[in-house]
Amino acid sequence: MPSRPRSLDSSIGTKLLVGFTGFLLFLYLILHIGGNVMVFLGPDTFNGYSDLLLSNPLIIPIEIGLVMIFLVHIYKTVAMTLDNRRARPVKYARKKSAGAPSRKSVASSTMIVSGLWLLLFIVIHVRTFKFGPEYETASGVRDLYRLEMENFSDPITVVFYLISMLVVGSHLWHGASSALQSLGIDSQTWTPRILLSGKVAAVLIAGGFIVITVWAFSQGART
Amino acid sequence: MRLTLKIWRQAGPNVAGRLVVYAADHVSPDMSFLEMLDVVNEGLIKKGEDAIAFDSDCREGICGMCGLVVNGIPHGPDRGTTVCQLHMRRFKDGDTITIEPWRAKAFPVVKDLVVDRSAFDRIIAAGGYVSVNCGGAPDGNAIPISKDVSELAMDSAACIGCGACVAACKNASAHLFMSAKISHLALLPQGQVERARRVVQMVTQADAEGFGSCSNEGECEAVCPKEIPISNIARMTREYLRAVVRI
Amino acid sequence: MKLDAKSPSGPIAGRWDRHKFEMKLVNPANKRKYTLIVVGTGLAGASAAASLGELGYNVLNFCIQDSPRRAHSIAAQGGINAAKNYQNDGDSVYRLFYDTVKGGDYRSRESNVYRLAQLSVNIIDQCVAQGVPFAREYGGLLDNRSFGGAQVSRTFYARGQTGQQLLLGAYQSLMRQVHEKTVTLFPRREMLDLVLVDGKARGIIVRNLTNGKIERYAGDAVILATGGYGTAYYLSTNAVNANVTAAWRAHKRGALFANPCYTQIHPTCIPVSGEHQSKLTLMSESLRNDGRVWVPKKKGDARPPAQIPEAERDYYLERKYPSFGNLVPRDVASRNAKQVCDEGRGVGDSRLSVYLDFTDAIKRLGVDEVKEKYGNLFHMYKKITDEDAYRVPMRIYPAIHYTMGGLWVDYNLMSNVPGLHVLGEANFSDHGANRLGASALMQGLADGYFVIPYTIGHYLASSPLPKVTTDHDAFKQAADNAQQGINRLLAVKGHRGIREIHRELGRILWDDVGMARTEASLKRALAAIPGLRDEFWHSVSVPGSPDNLNQSLEYAGRVADYLEFAELLAFDALDRRESCGGHFREESQTPDGEALRDDANFTYVAAWEFKGVGRQPELHKEPLEFEEVHPTQRSYK
Repeated sequence: MPSRPRSLDSSIGTKLLVGFTGFLLFLYLILHIGGNVMVFLGPDTFNGYSDLLLSNPLIIPIEIGLVMIFLVHIYKTVAMTLDNRRARPVKYARKKSAGAPSRKSVASSTMIVSGLWLLLFIVIHVRTFKFGPEYETASGVRDLYRLEMENFSDPITVVFYLISMLVVGSHLWHGASSALQSLGIDSQTWTPRILLSGKVAAVLIAGGFIVITVWAFSQGART
Repeated sequence: MRLTLKIWRQAGPNVAGRLVVYAADHVSPDMSFLEMLDVVNEGLIKKGEDAIAFDSDCREGICGMCGLVVNGIPHGPDRGTTVCQLHMRRFKDGDTITIEPWRAKAFPVVKDLVVDRSAFDRIIAAGGYVSVNCGGAPDGNAIPISKDVSELAMDSAACIGCGACVAACKNASAHLFMSAKISHLALLPQGQVERARRVVQMVTQADAEGFGSCSNEGECEAVCPKEIPISNIARMTREYLRAVVRI
Repeated sequence: MKLDAKSPSGPIAGRWDRHKFEMKLVNPANKRKYTLIVVGTGLAGASAAASLGELGYNVLNFCIQDSPRRAHSIAAQGGINAAKNYQNDGDSVYRLFYDTVKGGDYRSRESNVYRLAQLSVNIIDQCVAQGVPFAREYGGLLDNRSFGGAQVSRTFYARGQTGQQLLLGAYQSLMRQVHEKTVTLFPRREMLDLVLVDGKARGIIVRNLTNGKIERYAGDAVILATGGYGTAYYLSTNAVNANVTAAWRAHKRGALFANPCYTQIHPTCIPVSGEHQSKLTLMSESLRNDGRVWVPKKKGDARPPAQIPEAERDYYLERKYPSFGNLVPRDVASRNAKQVCDEGRGVGDSRLSVYLDFTDAIKRLGVDEVKEKYGNLFHMYKKITDEDAYRVPMRIYPAIHYTMGGLWVDYNLMSNVPGLHVLGEANFSDHGANRLGASALMQGLADGYFVIPYTIGHYLASSPLPKVTTDHDAFKQAADNAQQGINRLLAVKGHRGIREIHRELGRILWDDVGMARTEASLKRALAAIPGLRDEFWHSVSVPGSPDNLNQSLEYAGRVADYLEFAELLAFDALDRRESCGGHFREESQTPDGEALRDDANFTYVAAWEFKGVGRQPELHKEPLEFEEVHPTQRSYK
């Protein structure tokens, strides 16, 4: 019998890891958008909230943890995709979905593409915000509100963000509920609800970020 | 009906194959899909040409030997149906039908539309059984089993091992096949003793055979002639987790 | 040749136990030194290979399909009988024995049948332990149903897939032994010859169907579990690859073929729709519990069924057999369907079917209950015929379903060729002239799980078996012979399709050696078959090469064997000038048209010895004695 670490290398171990990290990232996104909506409450509230986060001594270990989760998710999914491609060396001349009850969708067929796009996006996003210009407010905290407004006044950035948010939505459309199935969570009553909730969450999260982006752009346009 | 068939021809395992176009005239709507191919073959045989090789045996949807990808869907467009039970009335005069073999690294083509599915046998050999020798079994009624559990186990046990799940999966994964046997035995009291060992060994074997992983798309369930649901795969994951934690 | 059935004597209930004690045993440490060849992986073959592997023998197991799990046992729907008496309704080993002997129309060996009934009980226990998901009651105990007109509920079932679940149980046990390396599996191999060394079965010649190589395998005994010969009739409910080749080639090497004329015809199959049809699909007999069989009273009445008024319908089974009605045994129901169609009263486009009408059942029980009971069958019927049986009556017609005849075996399941053992449908043993419903699975598993593990040991321990390798001359000669057979098929290069000739053979057998046989029809068949055989060897087209997967070549070889075998079938039917079970000779019937046995002259097993293709085979008789169950005339009035 394989020992425990080897078990995580198996096709099911991979699924468990991808599902688990994916689900944690999904939870993180919910927190993220929860924080971001504070932007509607004005610069003071938003900056106050971000300062609260940044000054917390736990932020460094949490960020490291988050990076690890990302890395595991990325490594495992890329390796899995390559393995899966090897599992079918000769492609079909003609292939189509058999339809319901299959959950196959454009979103599910393009997880690796949406995932890799999101990797690129995250690199840019982190560079822009976390490692971007360090504005300060009058009260001496970091002025992320200004940074956000500045960035979203640039139409190219806005278009990039809007596309990326659609990609997030697509990734979650399949990924959110799939993560739970990967963890073995399933019941006749709950599975249909989970599937629906996953899609609703995908729309809400992507939609939320899009609204924020568009709103920020319109604010910039007004001034 | 007159049909145009594009059929995968491949002389052997290590040579390249290609789609070859055949005309099928005088197709009756009452024919099964395989009977339509029989007629095409009969024509080829009379001309002294090598017949199109395809597997089939019982032709009533239970042996699991037949399997063709018809217009991109394993076993064709009808749900819960093997290709031997698919009838030509499902098609229209003038249709073009593409016919390909199951495609997976673990199912190498033997010839034309025939593939080698012995990987499935090796997965079962790795642990898909209850290790009881013949002779010492207790009375059949010694262990009562609730009707619901027994029915659920039967739902999973209905798998015919045709391999359509692998053929449909974009990852050529054998998870639905494996999970059906793992579920069947994990649900019954007789399967408890070897429960942990079974799931780990079968999964290890499937991975070694070169099948892919599972992306939860559920194409497998949609093409399964016995409509075995992917809830079996979730159960297999739980079984695996349970087994790994206990090792 | 004197046929010794080695049937034990003494009180019937103790015969098997005493016989088991008297048989010699092989020392556990010596078992692995013996190599046993098992051909076939159906219920009999898989269960035999698995249990012999468990005992420690070195087993080589062959099948023609890509996996042992495909064998046609998988298609059995109804169930498996066992004398468990779980229902407290008066069943017993003795009753199952009695019913089987009577059902077989007093043409089976009492000792064998009694053993079968005894072992039926162990089979259920074994299968449950393997995890076979039999149907259960709410209390968690095993459910039973009454099947095929039995007066007790002794049939165990797993939905409509009992054969599948039992076969998968045996297959899983087999794969476990493959994993343990006691059994080596050889899929996609077709047995082409039996190899005899010093008069004993010591090996087989097979064709590797994937690469065409002729392979030789040597062993200490050969066990054939290769099924029946129903596909001789072309259309049957058997799998399309089912064939008589292994048994026939063994027959040509000296094994006697017993009672080939005992064929079973199942009354409730979906009728033939056209020339193209490759096989027939059976629908469970349980349909006759609620459906009413009828045809129009008037010949050639082409009106749709709904427009034929009640007064112009002939519910012929209810009319002729008031007490059993639509539930008469298979052979009676089948013969009557043929009779009304012969009278020109058949229905459907082909005029070769009768109605099975559920209108009354739907009125009585409601659509929902009918759907619950028969939904899957109605669905299957719709899929094949495109007709909705809830609205128009089903159409059914009989089809060949099972063959009771087979290679002759003694009580130890060994043929007259020492070392050659035959199990399951391939042997002739337990069903006599007619098999009861849900008994085929029982026999296959009894032979494989519980009989051969004992009797093979006795053979091995009591016969000197010097080491033989595949270099022996006998192997070389048999392999060359097999290769020549293949070359001969490929050399014909004619213009006729193989299927076309097979279909023609099927028509001869169905018309003249089918449900009702006469001296004239049998002579007609015997005159036609050699001509068709010549036609085959002059004009068949077998394209492709011998050195890769060539399904035309495989098929042609099987049809070639059927063209020889068919003659034996007709010959046996001609020789048996009585009606019994599945064999109905029109000359031998009661005044009201029932099968009439001739016990004085035909209470024997007809075992035929091969004398050359086209030559008259030699008859050897094994007399049957009935000490327990005394022959009576069946009546279902």
